[in-house]
Order: sequence, then C-alpha cells, then structure tokens
Amino acid sequence: MSDRSHLIATGKPFQFDAERDAMFERLVVRYPTRESMILPSLWLVQEQEGWVSQEAIAYIADRIGTFASKVFEAATFYTMYHLRPMGRYHICICRTLSCWLRGKQEIVDYLRGELGLAPGEISEDGRFSLEEVECLGHCGTAPVVQINGEFYENMDVDKLKSLLATLV
Amino acid sequence: MADKITLFVNGVEVEVESGKNLIDAVAAAGIEIPHLCYHPALGADGNCRMCLVGIEDGRPPLVPACKTPAQAGMKVLLDAAHIKKIQHDVMEFELINHPIDCPICDQAGECKLQDYYMTYHGQPSRMTVPQVQKSKKLDFGCGVVHDQERCVTCGRCVRFCRQITKTGELGIVNRSDQARVTIFPGRPLNNRYALNVVDLCPVGAMTSRDFRFQQRVWFLKKSPGICHGCSKGCNIVIDHHREKYADDRIYRFRPRLNLQVNGYFICDEGRLSYRRENEGRLTVARIGGQPAAVADALAACRDELQRAQKVVVLLSPSCSLEQMLAAREWAARHGAILSGFSDGYLKPGDGDGYLIQDDKSANRAGLLLLGIDCRRETFLAALAEAQLLINCDNELERSFPLEELQQLLMGIRTILATSHDSPCAATADIAVPVASFSEYDGAVVNCDGILQCFRKAVGKNEPLPDMADFIAALDGTAADRAGLFTALAALIPALAGQSADTVPAQGLKLNENEAAHVSA
Repeated sequence: MSDRSHLIATGKPFQFDAERDAMFERLVVRYPTRESMILPSLWLVQEQEGWVSQEAIAYIADRIGTFASKVFEAATFYTMYHLRPMGRYHICICRTLSCWLRGKQEIVDYLRGELGLAPGEISEDGRFSLEEVECLGHCGTAPVVQINGEFYENMDVDKLKSLLATLV
Repeated sequence: MADKITLFVNGVEVEVESGKNLIDAVAAAGIEIPHLCYHPALGADGNCRMCLVGIEDGRPPLVPACKTPAQAGMKVLLDAAHIKKIQHDVMEFELINHPIDCPICDQAGECKLQDYYMTYHGQPSRMTVPQVQKSKKLDFGCGVVHDQERCVTCGRCVRFCRQITKTGELGIVNRSDQARVTIFPGRPLNNRYALNVVDLCPVGAMTSRDFRFQQRVWFLKKSPGICHGCSKGCNIVIDHHREKYADDRIYRFRPRLNLQVNGYFICDEGRLSYRRENEGRLTVARIGGQPAAVADALAACRDELQRAQKVVVLLSPSCSLEQMLAAREWAARHGAILSGFSDGYLKPGDGDGYLIQDDKSANRAGLLLLGIDCRRETFLAALAEAQLLINCDNELERSFPLEELQQLLMGIRTILATSHDSPCAATADIAVPVASFSEYDGAVVNCDGILQCFRKAVGKNEPLPDMADFIAALDGTAADRAGLFTALAALIPALAGQSADTVPAQGLKLNENEAAHVSA
C-alpha cells in the first residue's frame, strides 16, 4: 500500500461534460442521501478524464454538498481510482491465485522486458500503463488481462503481443 | 438523576448509572477501561479496539465497551488473561509505527499512549523493519500543527470537525499503515473551535502552535477557572507555572467539563485569551502619568475624593459580583452615581449560537442582577456634571473612539483601576493596577443566568489588589470578602445559605425572575 495522499492539481477548473452531468443527475435520485454519490461521481470523473485530479475532487464535494475531506478519503482509500494520469491503455493483470498459477508472471515479465513497463508505471510515450490487481472474477479463464475495462481471457505472451499491436 | 443499576466487573459488584456505555458507567465507579477513539462528546466509533472487554452472557468473546450499553446484572471481564492479551496486542499494533520521541513531544506526561504502554504493554518493540515515515509538521491552519507519525488514527479530530463544528476540514486518507489525518489541499482548518482537536487528540499528533515546545506539562499547575472572554463563562483549566527566578505565568487555557455551561470545549479566542493575563498588564501605579507606589496612588485617590463633589463610578461588566457589590455599596455611601455602561463590550453578530456570545464581558448579567444602570444616556448625563470619574476597569475605549473619549472626559479628573495598560491608563490622572480574573476569587453570572464561583489561580510575586480592595482603600479600609459574599447571599435568593465553597461546581442556575428580587 502506498501513500496516495498527494493529489495532483491541473491548475484548471474541473467540470462534468454534458453526458456526465446528465448521468450525475440521473444517479443522484437513486440514493437516500447525496453523499452516496461520492463513489459514482469519482467513477464519472475517471471515465471522463482517465484519472481524478484535485480539482475534480473539490468539484465533486461542492456538487454533492459534502466535505472535500470525505471525497478525498474515498478517493485515496479505493485504489481503483487513479489519482494521476495513466497510459492511454491501462493494462490490469490479475495476480490472484488462479491467474498466478496459470502464468500471469510471464505476461508481466514480458511487458517489463519488451516495453520497459513495471507494475505501477506508465510507459514513456504515455501509451500504456500497467497495474497488478486482485481477482477480476474470471478465474475459469485465467490468466486474465483487463485493458481499459475490456477483458481478455486465457492470455499468454503471444496473444498479448498481437493484442498490443492493435492498440495505438 | 439517572437510575442506578448493578453490574459486576471482574466478579465485583458495582453500582453504576444506567443509560451510559460501559466505559463511562464503570469510569464513574473508578474503574478504567482503556480507550483511544471513544470520547463522550463524539460518541463511540469502535475503531481503536482498545476497549474490548468480555461479557459473560453468551455473546461473542470480545465486545467493544464503548458500543455496549451498561445493563443490570452484566458480568464484565476486564482482568481475564485473554482480555489482557488483547489490550497488550492492540498496544503493540499501535506502537509499530509510533515514533519514540516522547522526550521532545508536547503530549508527554498527558499522553494516553504513554499511559497505556506503561499499564498494558511495557515491552520493547519486536519490529525489525523500518517504520513507515509520514509528515512530521503539517500546518492545518488555526494554529494546529499535525505530526502524522504520532497519530493513532482514532479519528477524534475528524469527528469533532464533522459533528461539532460541522466544517469537516479533516479526513483520514489512504488505508492500512499509510492511513493519515490530513486536510484537503487549500481547505485548511477554518473554524473558531479548531484548537479543541489538540485536547481531543489522545496522543501528541495534534499540537497547538501556541503551546508547542513551551513547557513540559508536568510542571504545569492546573487550576480551575472561568474564562472571561465572553458572557458564556466557559469553564477552563488554567495551566500555569512559576519558573525559577521568574513570576507565575499562564501557559495555556484548556476546557474544563461543565455540561451545564460549555460541555467539553471552549472557543479558540477564549483559549488564547490567556495571553492577556500575561501581557500588557499594568503593574505599577501612575500619578499624572508618572510611575508611583500603589499606596501613594491610593492616597492620591483619597485626596481627589476630598476635593470632588460629584463623583461617577463606572464598573466593568467583567467585574465579579463581589466587586460590583462593593462598588454599589461604596457609591451609595458616598452619594456617587454608579454606572455599568459598557456598550463597547457588545459585538453584535459575533456570537454563533454555540459557545461564542456577542457580549464580550463576563458578568453583564451580574450588573443587571444588582440593578446597576447600564444605559448610555444616564452615564453621559452623569458624566456631564461629574468632577471625578472612578473607572473600575471599564475599557471605555471600546465604547468610544479615543478622540470622542478625550472630549467626554475634558475637565473631569479620572481615576482608573485597571488590570491592563491602555490609552486610558496613560491619560488617567491616577492609574492603579489591580488583579485580573486569574488572580482573585469571585463569582460571575453568565448569559444563561448561571452563577459560577471561581478561585484565585495565579499567585504573582507581587500580588496586585483585587478591585474590591481598591474600592475599600478609597475609604482607607480593607475589603471584607466574606462579608461581601454574605451580602450577596442576602440579595440573591438562590445563594441563600451558600458560601463561595458550597456553590456547586457546575454553577447555580438563577431563576428567570431572580433580578426582580434584588432591589437596586
């Protein structure tokens, strides 16, 4: 576990785009209190920007009408919220038991060797970022790789190689 | 008064109040259940796990005492081996990353972690890995400085800001051993009660910029007092110390529990008003602006009185009831006009409906109780005819701009008895230094009609006279304090049969129409 408390400020005010704005208003009525919107709002931000900036947290807090410290707490507690810009393609490799036994390490080693990309890092050209995550729930088709939310099952180095070639 | 119930702690029968949780219930009976996160004003959070106890009634083997209501017949286990092991292990967890900087930590001596370590753990660390490093000096604003490494993440400060001040500046970010208290960037502590987090913090993580590194707490003498910063009359602890070769000095004010008045907290302004007790004091008398002995100044006052026909006595609304009564009796004896005009002490809109009041005086209710005229018109009318003004520490510069004040006092001889140096003290014909509220015994009535007695806390090397002494000295006599209190008790029905020692610690609530009983 690392320290995630140093937020990055973009220097520009954040705002939901029209689509997320509408989504926010659609979601907010589902919950008994507006504070329940903290986690969904953080997702909306991440969908929109790819990561969550200091300004975005302040925006969410003000939009919901809660303390910025509460949104700050949630954003730093859940590691799936990215608090810094990630690669254009964010690669999550499952490292839990089934995927580990079925060879996730070969995939990780390949990425490290071929792209110079270690877990937690972003490639220099900003194209890829890599993260080792806990169980993604696809143990039957391990090892599993998730790229920008899309699942790729029964992965091996060759499959990944051809997959990455299609991602520009 | 709540009902009493009987329960058993370690097999011993204990009578406790019902309706409380186990920690508070058995604490009243003198049994300590260790806890870090629970605080009666903030409720049970249950995160520190230090208060785990056993209850022999078939429930799970360990329950947090803070979340367990005391019930009749409950069999609470505190000294069983498995409870002691839990306490020992929780302490070991707390101390994994805790820096051992007690020798430079301000909390040392009043630190829960230190106390519990001695009681429940007392062993060297078994850790061989480097400790997690965090920020050591974060400025949270409002004079609060935070050391994240010392923090035990009990969340008291966070809950205080969310529940009490409702400003929510603080949060616990990250998780596991990286968890830390912090502010959101650019939104620092910004409330008028922020320094209470320093008292709430069970360890030395929250420190006050004002008190940091000033004094070791075991040197401090802790005397009870009443804050005179506004009309709420919050109960405080006056922490003072006389260093070798120096004078008795106050280092800080802390809140003192009084559920009838201020609860567990005080405002920051009141807390820092201790500085005024140390600084800016008038310590020597002045005659015509020249330093003089107090005795000479008092003699000069008596000469002035001989010459003056029309005298106005002006009282400060922060004087004690005894002082006010002494002035009232003196004025009646000498045919002087008595006024309590003090509109300048009112700061409309400054109060917040919690503790802070508009009225920045400690005893305006006392002026009204004693039927002392506080109207501006009558004071100005009296002043227009007066030859001599005896000002009992009323800071007139609060009520009038200085130039207007000079106009008003043109041609009037002024005697000022004051605890603090001021422009008025510089221009008064005679200025006599008197004791401030931490240096005398007295009684004040707060904005809610609660009469509270307080005791002299600070003993200066060269004690200054009490205002009542000054008034008595105008007649060349000494103040009869016991007599003054007896006279007060005769005037105020609620005080009947009481002495300063028997007034309850939480204060006496005066009746709504109490003032009506007191003839002017």
